[in-house]
Amino acid sequence: MNKRGASSRYLNRVGWFMVAPAIILYAVFNLYPILSSLGMVTRKWQGMRVTYIGLGNFARMLNDKIFWQSLGHNFLFMGIQIPIMIMLALILAVILNQGIKHGRGALRTIFFLPCVTSLVAYSVLFRMLFQTNGLLNNVLMNLNIIQNPIGWLNDPNWAKATIMIALTWRWTGYNMVFFIVGMQNINNEIYEAAEVDGANRRQQFFRITMPLLRPVILFSVVTSISGTMQLLDEPNVLTWEGGPANATMTAALYIYRQAFVLNSDFGYATALSYVVVIITAAFAFIQMRLLGRRDQ
Amino acid sequence: MIVAKRFTFSRLLIWIFLITGAVASLFPFFWMLIGTTLNPNDVVSGVVLPGKEFPLNWSKAVKNYNLPTYFLNSLKIALLTVLLGVLVNSLAAFGFEKYRSKAREKVFSVFMLSLMMPQIALVIPLFKLMSSMKLLNTHAAIILPALMSPFIIFFMRQNFQMFPSEIMEAARIDGAGEMYIFFRIVFPSMKASFVSAGIYMFLSQWNSYLWPLMTILSEEKKTLPIAISSMMRAYTIEYGAVMIIVCISIMPVIVLYLAMQKEFVAGLLGSVKG
Repeated sequence: MNKRGASSRYLNRVGWFMVAPAIILYAVFNLYPILSSLGMVTRKWQGMRVTYIGLGNFARMLNDKIFWQSLGHNFLFMGIQIPIMIMLALILAVILNQGIKHGRGALRTIFFLPCVTSLVAYSVLFRMLFQTNGLLNNVLMNLNIIQNPIGWLNDPNWAKATIMIALTWRWTGYNMVFFIVGMQNINNEIYEAAEVDGANRRQQFFRITMPLLRPVILFSVVTSISGTMQLLDEPNVLTWEGGPANATMTAALYIYRQAFVLNSDFGYATALSYVVVIITAAFAFIQMRLLGRRDQ
Repeated sequence: MIVAKRFTFSRLLIWIFLITGAVASLFPFFWMLIGTTLNPNDVVSGVVLPGKEFPLNWSKAVKNYNLPTYFLNSLKIALLTVLLGVLVNSLAAFGFEKYRSKAREKVFSVFMLSLMMPQIALVIPLFKLMSSMKLLNTHAAIILPALMSPFIIFFMRQNFQMFPSEIMEAARIDGAGEMYIFFRIVFPSMKASFVSAGIYMFLSQWNSYLWPLMTILSEEKKTLPIAISSMMRAYTIEYGAVMIIVCISIMPVIVLYLAMQKEFVAGLLGSVKG
C-alpha cells in the first residue's frame, strides 16, 4: 500500500471522479432535456406564442390520420423487410462460415461495406439509381424483365419497396457478420459429436446451429426493430420527404416535420414523440421477457 | 456419382448467389465513382461508362459549393468528438468497472436505460436547450451532446472486464497513482478497444444527419451530409457535383474500414468479439 493508502474511501472518490464528466454531460444534454419535455407536452406553439392546453395535444393526435399512417409504415417496413434481411443474412453467414473454401474474407469485407456509408450519401445514390428514367429501370428493360419503367420513387407501393430494398442493401452484411461471429462461438465438438451420431449437414443446421444462434438472431431482430422504429433519413432523402404523398412517411420523419418544417409546434411534436417512446419501451420489455426465458 | 453431381450443382447455385450479392453490394460504389465523371443528364439516366466531366464537376463542387469547407467542418467535428468522447466514456467505463460501488451501479443502469431512448424524442427538447444556451448554428451544438455515449460506456466496460485487477494492485504497491494506472498501463495494453470505440464514435458523428440538419443554418458551418441534402433540394440539381461530394463523404470511411477492418467490425458490432 502506498502512502495515500489505496483505502476504499479514496478509491471510491477516484471512481466518482472518473464517471463525473459523463454524469455531467448526461445530466445537461440528456436528462434535463427529457425532463423539460414534460413541460412542453401540455403546450401549443403558435409562432412565438405558447399557450397551455393540457392534454389537448393528445386529443389532437387521435384524429391525426397521417401520423397513424406513418406509424403503420414503420410496422410495415419491420414486418416485411426485417424477416427478408435476417433470412438473407443467415444464408450468407452459413455459406461464408462453412459452405465455401475460397474468398471468405473478401466476401465478408464486401458484404459489410454498405453499412459503413453515411445514410444521406447512400440515400442520394439510391435516389439517382432508382429514377424512373434511371439506371435500374434501363437495365431491367434491356434485360426484358419489365416492359415499362417502374415508378420506384413515384408510385406509392414501389416507393415503399424502394425503401425496403435500400435498407436491405445497407444492413444485411452487418447482420451477417453478427451471425458469423455467433456461429464461430459454437463449440466445434458439438458438430463432431453430431457427425459421429450420423447427423447430416441439414440436421446439424436446424438442430444445433439454429437453437444455439437464437440469442444472436433475437438480438439482431431487436436492433433492427429499434432502428426501423426510428427510420428517418431514407424516407427524407431517398423518397423525398416521405413521398410520394406521404406513402413512405415514417413516425420519426413526421414528428421532425411537425417540429421544424411545417408548424414549428414543439408541444405537439413532443406529444407524438412520446408515442414512439412508449412503443420502443414496449418492444424493450418484450425483448427482456424473451431473453429472460432463455436464461431459465 | 449422383452425389457428386448434386454437389457441383448446389455449389454453382451458391456461387451465383454470392456473386449476385457481391455485385449488388459493390455496384453503388462503383457507380458513384463513374458518376463523378459524368454530366448531370448522364448521371440521372444512368450511364455506366466513365465520362470526361470530372474536372468540371470538381471545380463546381469546390467553387459553387465550398466542398473543402464542408469536408473540414465534418472532419473537425468528428475528430473532436472522438478525442473528447473516447476520453470521457472510457474513463467513466473504467470507473464503473474497476471502482465498483452500489451508487455508481445505479447511475450505470440509468445510463443503460437511456440507450433505448429514440433520438427523435430527445432532439426536440435538446433543440430548445441549445437555443436557450445560444448555441444554435455552432459546431459546439453538434459536438457536446455526442460526447457522452451510453453505448460506448457499455462497450468499454465490457472490454475492461478483461483487464486483470491484479495488475492494478501491483502497480499501486509500486506507488502508481490511479490516473497513471489508467493512462500508462490500461490504455497502452487495451489500444484495440480504444480504437474500436473511436471508430464507432467517428462514424456516427461523420455520418450524422438529423441533429446537424436541425442546428446548422449557415452555409459555412455545414457538414458533408447536410451539404448533400441541401444540394438535392436545389431547383436545378448539379448531379455531377453531388456525386463528388457523396464520394468525398464515403471514401474516407471506406479507406478507414479497409485499413483497420478488425477494430472497425468490433466497434460496430459492440460487445460481440469479431
